[in-house]
This record gives sequence, C-alpha cells and structure tokens, in this order.
Amino acid sequence: MKSTRESRREGRWFYFFISPWLIGFIVFALFPVLASLYYSFTEYDIIHAPEFIGFGNYNELFHDEQFWNSVKVTLKYTFISVPLTLFLSLVFAMLINQKIPFRGIFRTAMYFPSMISGVSMALLWFWVFNPQAGLFNYGLSLFGIDPIHWFLDEKYAMWALIIMSFWGLGGGMLIFLAGLQGVPAHLLEAAKLDGAGRLRTFWNVTFPLISPVFLFQLIIGLIESFQVFTQAYTITQGGPNYSTWFYVYNIYINAFKNFRYGYASAMSWILLIAVTVITFVIMKLSNRYVYYEGGRER
Amino acid sequence: MSEVALAKQQPVRRKKTKIEFASIVGFLILLIVTIAMIMPLGFMLSTSLKTTKEMLVFPPTVIPKHFAWDNFKELFVNEEIKFGRQYLNSIIVAIATVIGTVFSSSFVAFGFARYKAKGSQFLFVLVLSTLMLPYPAIMIPQFLLFTKLGLHDSLLPLILPSFFASAYMIFLLKQFFTSIPNELYDAGRIDGCKEIRLYWNLTLPLSGPVIATVAIFSFIWSWNDLLAPVLYLDSQENFTLPIGMAAMLSSKFRIAPWNLMMAASLLSVLPIIVLFSIAQRRFVQGIVLTGIK
Amino acid sequence: MRMKKGKLALSLTLTFGLIATGCSSGGGKEGKESKEGETVTITHYTIDSPDRTFVEKLIPDFEAKHPNIKIKVTKAPYEQFDSKLQSSIAAKNSPDVTSHWGYGGFMEYYNKGMLMDLTPYLTGFSGADYDIPEDVMNIYKVDGKTYGIPLNSYVTVMLYNKDLFDKAGLKYPPTDYEDKSWTFDKMVDYAKKMTVDSKNLADAQYGVDFGFGERDQRPQYFGANVYSDDTWTNGGKPSEIRLTKPEVVEAYKKIYGLIYDQKVSPTPAFSKSVSGQFGDPFLSGKIAMSVVGSWSLAASSDFSFNVGVAAVPQGPNEKVRSVLYVDPLFVLKDSKHPKEALEWIKYLITAEVQEKSIELSGGNPPVNQKAAEKYYNNFEGIDPEQIKQVFEGAYKYGFESYNHLISNYSQINELFINELASVENGDKKVEDALPVIEGKLKDLLARVNK
Repeated sequence: MKSTRESRREGRWFYFFISPWLIGFIVFALFPVLASLYYSFTEYDIIHAPEFIGFGNYNELFHDEQFWNSVKVTLKYTFISVPLTLFLSLVFAMLINQKIPFRGIFRTAMYFPSMISGVSMALLWFWVFNPQAGLFNYGLSLFGIDPIHWFLDEKYAMWALIIMSFWGLGGGMLIFLAGLQGVPAHLLEAAKLDGAGRLRTFWNVTFPLISPVFLFQLIIGLIESFQVFTQAYTITQGGPNYSTWFYVYNIYINAFKNFRYGYASAMSWILLIAVTVITFVIMKLSNRYVYYEGGRER
Repeated sequence: MSEVALAKQQPVRRKKTKIEFASIVGFLILLIVTIAMIMPLGFMLSTSLKTTKEMLVFPPTVIPKHFAWDNFKELFVNEEIKFGRQYLNSIIVAIATVIGTVFSSSFVAFGFARYKAKGSQFLFVLVLSTLMLPYPAIMIPQFLLFTKLGLHDSLLPLILPSFFASAYMIFLLKQFFTSIPNELYDAGRIDGCKEIRLYWNLTLPLSGPVIATVAIFSFIWSWNDLLAPVLYLDSQENFTLPIGMAAMLSSKFRIAPWNLMMAASLLSVLPIIVLFSIAQRRFVQGIVLTGIK
Repeated sequence: MRMKKGKLALSLTLTFGLIATGCSSGGGKEGKESKEGETVTITHYTIDSPDRTFVEKLIPDFEAKHPNIKIKVTKAPYEQFDSKLQSSIAAKNSPDVTSHWGYGGFMEYYNKGMLMDLTPYLTGFSGADYDIPEDVMNIYKVDGKTYGIPLNSYVTVMLYNKDLFDKAGLKYPPTDYEDKSWTFDKMVDYAKKMTVDSKNLADAQYGVDFGFGERDQRPQYFGANVYSDDTWTNGGKPSEIRLTKPEVVEAYKKIYGLIYDQKVSPTPAFSKSVSGQFGDPFLSGKIAMSVVGSWSLAASSDFSFNVGVAAVPQGPNEKVRSVLYVDPLFVLKDSKHPKEALEWIKYLITAEVQEKSIELSGGNPPVNQKAAEKYYNNFEGIDPEQIKQVFEGAYKYGFESYNHLISNYSQINELFINELASVENGDKKVEDALPVIEGKLKDLLARVNK
C-alpha cells in the first residue's frame, strides 16, 4: 500500500502528464459542445451579436424540408453503403483467408485503393463516372448498356457514391482478416470433425469470435457515414436536385455559406445526440449478442 | 458431438473436394474483384499522361499516344494552380500535426498508463467517449473561436489542436505503455531518473513501433482532411492540397483539366504510397489496432 | 457573378506569393480617428484572380499622389470570398473597400447592414464628372442614399465561332441591335444547321448555348417575369412569385426546349464532361453561338478558333435583350477612414486609371464612358466598331442582373440550380418542376425576409 504522501505525489504527476489532453478537452471539445448548445438557441451571423430565440431553430428545423431531406439522404447512404461494405469486406477477408496462391498480392491490391481517400478519390471517381469519356460507362457500353449520367442525374448520383464507397473496403477487410486469423485453428478443426458445413462453421464458430470486430466496424462505419462531406463538397455540391445533400454538407452550407451559425449549431447538436444514441443502442444490443473472449467485458 | 463426427467418416472426404472447388471459385472472384479495384488507378495514371485532346476521346485509350509529361510540370509552373505552394502547405500541416500528436499523445498516455489518481478512471472513460465525438458537432464554436482570435485563413487552426493529444492515439499508446514491465521503471527510479526522464529516456525509446504507427496515421488523417481546411483557409496560397484540388475542378479552367487533376491526385497520394511501401507492417498493424482506414 | 470567375484572361501577372502574406489584414488601423497629416491604411479586399488583383499595380501611383494614404490589398478566391469577408468583420479586421464579388449581391450586403452610406461624403461628387451614366449611378442607391460607386460594367453578348459558321456557309450574325431581322427563331435555325448530335464527344457539336442571365432571370428575355415588380424598389424582397404563370412556364419551355425539342443546345452532361462543373463549353470550340456575359470576351485572344461578337437576337421581350452586370465598389460600415477610402475609389474611376485598368486587367469593361472607347479597341481580331455597337445596344436594351438586386440571392440561386437540374437533364417536365420551386421559394422568402 502506498502512503498518502506518495499517492498525492502520484496524483500530481498524473495530472501533470495528462494536462495537455485536459486543456485540449476543455478548449476543443467541452467548450465547443456547450457553446454549440448555446448557439443553437440563437440567431447568429457572427457580424451581429447572437440573438436568443429559444427553441426557434429547432422548431424551424422540424418544418425545414431541406433538413429532412438531408436526414433522408444520409440515412439512405448509411443503410445501403455501411452494411454492404461490411458484408463485402468480410466476404473478401474470408476468401483471402483461404489457402490460395498470391494471397499477399491480393491483400495489398485490395487494400491499396482504400489509401487513396478524400479529394483524390473523389476526383478520380468523378472522372471514372464521367458520362462521356469515363471508364465506368465504357465498361457498361461493352455490355451494350447506354451511358448513364451518374453524378449529373438525381436517380444515379447516390448510387455512384455508394459504388464509390466500396472502393475503400480494403481497410475493413484487413481488420476482418486479422480477426479471422485470430480464430483458433483447433476450434475450426473440431467443427469440421463434427461435420459442420462451411456455413454452419462460420455462423457458429467464426462469426461469434469475430463479432467484437464486426461490432466495432459497424459503429465506426455508421459514425463515418453520418459525416460524409468530401464527396458532396467536391463532386456533387449536394445536387442534382438535392439528391446528395448530406447532413454535414447541410450544416456546412447553413453555417458557412448562409451564415446561420445558430441554425447550423442546432443541427450539430442533433447529430451529436444521434451518434451518441446509436452508439449506446448498439453497445447495449451487443451485450446480448457479441461474444467477448474470457467472458463479458463490462 | 465428437461421436457424431466419428460416425460420419465418409462425407468428410467428399467435402474436401468441395472445399477445393470453393477455393478455385474464391480465387477467381478475388481475381476479378482485384482487377476491378485496380482499374480506376490505371485510368488515373493513364489520364494523367494524356493531352487535353486525347483525354476526351471515347472509348478511352489505355496507353496514351503521346506521353504528356508536361502535365506534371504544368501543375508546378501554372501560377493559377499554385500546386507547389499547396503541396508545401500540406506537408507543413501534416508534419506539424505528426509532431504534435506524437509528443502530446504519448505524454498523456504515459500519464494514464503509469499513475493512478483520484478520477483517473473517470478521465480515461472521458477520453474514450471523445472517440465518438463527431467533428461537425463541434466545428462551429471552434471556428468562431479561432476566427475571433484572428487565426482565420492561417494554418494554425489545423495544427494547434493536435498539440493537445488525440483520443485514438492516447488509447493506442496507453495499451502499449501498460505492457512495459514495471520492473524497468523501478530500476529507472533507483537510478534517480525523474518522472519526465522516465517518459523521455525510457518509455519513448521502447515504443518505436507503436509510435511509428501513430505517426503514420496522424499523417494520413491530416493529409486527407478536407472539412477543417475548407472552414479555415480562404486564400489560395494558404490552401492545403485537398481544397486546392477540389478548387481545380470548380472553375479556374475553361475545359476541366482532367489530365492535370489526375496528375495532381497521383502526386498527392505519393507520400502515402511511399509511407506504405516502407512501413507496410506498421500500416497494417495501425489499421487493425485503430479500426480506422 | 458565379460564371465570372473562371473565364477571365489567364494572365501571368500574378505574383507567386511564397510567404503566406499576412492575410488577416488590417494592420495600421489603430481605431483612432485620422488626424490631418497622419498616414492611414485602406484595405482593398478583392477576388484572387488576375483581372482583380491588378489593382496592386496602381498603388504606387496612387500613393505618390496621396502621401497620407497607404493601400493594402487582401484577396480570396470566389468560393471563399464571402466567408473571408464575414470572418474578417467578425474578427474586427474589416476591410475598407470591396465589392460583391462572391455569391452574395449588393442587396444581401445592404440588408445585413454591412455597407456604409456614402452620401455624406459625396457632396460635390457627380457621376457625370467621371462619365458614368446617371442610370448606372442609380443602381446602387437605396432611398436616395448612395451605397456603391460603379466600377466596371459587363453586359450580355453573343459570341460565335466563326470557323463553324464558315464551315456551314452561314452569314455572320449582325452586331446592330436595331437589325430586327436577327431574331430568336433565326438563331435557332442557324443553330440547327450547325448541330452535330453524336454520342462521341469528339464529334458532337451544338448550335447555341443560351446562357442569358441566371436561371430565374432567363424568362425575362421572353417577356415573362419571375418576380413581382415591387422587388426592384423595396430592397429586393419580392412580394409575389410568378413561376406558375402561363407566360413563365412557356418561357422555360422555350429555354429547355433548345436542348430537348430543338436539340440544338448541349445537355448539362455534355457541357460538364467537356468543361467541368462551372466551365464554359463554348471555349471547347464545339459550340457555334453562345449567349454569355461579356467577361468571356476577355479571354478572346486565347481562343483556339476565330471568334466573333454579335447582338443578342431579338426575342419576345422588346425592351430587354441583355443582362447588365455593373460591379460597384463599396465602403464597409466598419471602415475607420471612409473619406480616404473614397479617395481611392474616385481614383479608380478616373478616365486615365480606367483606361490603364483595361490593359492591366486583361479587358475589364470600364464604367467610365470615356475610357470605354479604348476598351472597344482592346480585342484582337474583333472590329472595335462592332464591339462598340454590341455594347451600346446591350446598354440600351439591358436590365441589371438579378443577383445584384435581390436580397439573399445566393440561397435563391442555389434553389433554382438544384430544382431545375432534373429539367436540364431531361428527367422532369418544366410544368411539373415549376410549382415545386414556387412553393419552396415562397417558404424560403418567408423565412429570410421576415
């Protein structure tokens, strides 16, 4: 047992070392979260002083078609892109995890594109989806399919973005691969001896073991796709006809183009609440379904 | 269960051939998907070397008729693009961010790993909870803060926060620091090492690999970030690469210079490719540990 | 305004700023009233393109003439123009002189209270002394108070590709606005003869790109008005939206009919494939005639084909055939030295400086009519008389651009761009889209003009 003097000394060192984070937390996280809450109850254009309007912004949001549209757009993207990306990265991880030749090359080749993220990727895919001279329509034309206008057509713009999101699944695949390689071989052997088919083995042995990885990927995927901005800013400017008007893009436009910082802060807060709730719900559900080695962690 | 298995020797052999068949199918699927994944990269490379005329030809040519190496030169010579300047800005921001993140995060992680104090548990949970904090939820007050401080349109708002530690990196480093045996520290203490020297002379040198991972990932995040630069940077000579490239698309040119944009994209992913090829293992490890791509 | 940015002359005059030149501006403003003899610094905030930053070259001359005034130029690209302006005002670093070079127009700035009333400082000032026409001076007056001094005036012109005309064996269109045989229908006839509809980008060619004003102003050419007339007198707040009136619907049908019925205009897919999101497909040489803002002329020497300039054809509206874009200079409300700022503005509109500016900017049309004579001579390969005729006709049949006159224009324009996208792509009919836009526009206006 430590003496009180010693533990007080330890406490002092503790706070000394974590002070950068503590200051950063207060200045760059806590203060902004609270300030944003305050601004969300004001009309504020940064030139004039904030004007308190109570729930005015929230009330307006509730009736704002563009706001609901941005929610719809973001959810549509999330609910299609996240599960599919997750599913595909797991499938490819399992394929690569087999005894096949050139595994290393496959792994690198699949992972490589996911390093090209952000604007570089957006520009590349904008070009790949170019209706007249792009690679994608050329590919389709080989099958006799007429050119599709992709980002210029409100029916296809979202799908183009979703297809584009698959390109980055290599990162998730690597994580699953690590998870799969952590599945003890003797368990798989045992299942095989039990005569379990591949699917059953996967469902009863492999999947429960990698379920924490799956869960983590799911949460990260959801949170990331709630924050899609680069594609909307670079490629579509939210269009055509608002079909890619993502939530964060809506915040950006309202705050930094329309100069309605209060209104945008209200949206920020709703995003914060949504992310918190979803993380919490998934965690709660997962307590029931996710398997943690060595018993249940908290 | 094993009794059941023993009773069914026959089917197991049949299953074996099935597995091999499945492997072949898997191999073929992988081959096709991999080619599909790599193709856009080839398209990028080939477009970057095409002349303006050739880039609009349909169907697209695979190998450019004339290699227009001038595209790459044009990026740096054309003063309306300011590509060189923006490249430099990106490097400055990324390197400063790496330095800030590595030192501040390891410093903080050391505190969490080595000392117990009242509230240390709670504070660590707080660190973890900020992992989920979306940047768009806090960007407006941050923006207003930096703007009121007169730091708008400078690189500082992009760099400064990194000197106050990142939650991911604290988490990553703390895991590693905790695994360093206590005896080493006790020995250090007996030698009369001060706490700060325990951090600087003992912990950091032991943590090379994990620090490399932290460095690589903070570099990539900073390198690819678009939203924060879009908020803070207004002058072309202050742009980082991502906005500069996005701006190339909008309207500096009469004919969208796809060839130049692809050349720019290629150059902008170059540092990441270099990092990847010299530190592939760190890379993979980082992805697996942080779960972020 | 949106279109202006990209199409201006590529000039190599822009200095490569190696050091992030303190863009936070405002040095030397100590917040004291300027005393006699003390040097004051005026910040001139402008867009970061050679046709605007050339003012830096005028500074030495100005400072020599006004030893007590120093001029400092700060700049930002078009996309970031408004945000930087707002930020610097918020950081108490407001520039002194600027214009509406971003998304927002005059009325937006005015309604936000960003502009200084210049009337008290303008005693003894008359537009006539600077050869600025009276009606041009009046554009930036509200309730008899002056908020802006005109600097440049752009008009709408028709540019045509002489090579394509020659190939089709057609006569060049006239430059005289009084030649009433040059009609919209005739333009469409010509366009048909020069259109090659092809899936292959390299072969495709279109007759006309009809870019008259922004989308909400375009019906004006056909004699239909989207906004009620009180908009022009009440501070840019329309009391009525007429998007569903038959004449407006007909006008839009004609506009988009050029793409889908007559098939003489490029689809957005073509334009964007060739020239990017905001570029001008005319410059690709694949468009025979283009109705555009006269800023496109500035690039004429860089065209890879022979270009001619012509009158915008006579349409159904006998009074309006051209959109005018008069760019003013404002003094911002937070300026500590409005008097000195005004000295700088006055300097910029003298005939001598306006003439010099034409060359330095690569062809900005001066508002000073004396200097205008020189402007008409500025374009290689185009007869100055023709340009003069086209400009004078355009002034006579011109109407100021909506984006300068309507409050909160950037949000309105955004709405039109997005909502009309499906019509422009041929997915939706005009008569289905317009009622939707009308509803949304009404909601928007009710909110922003409350």
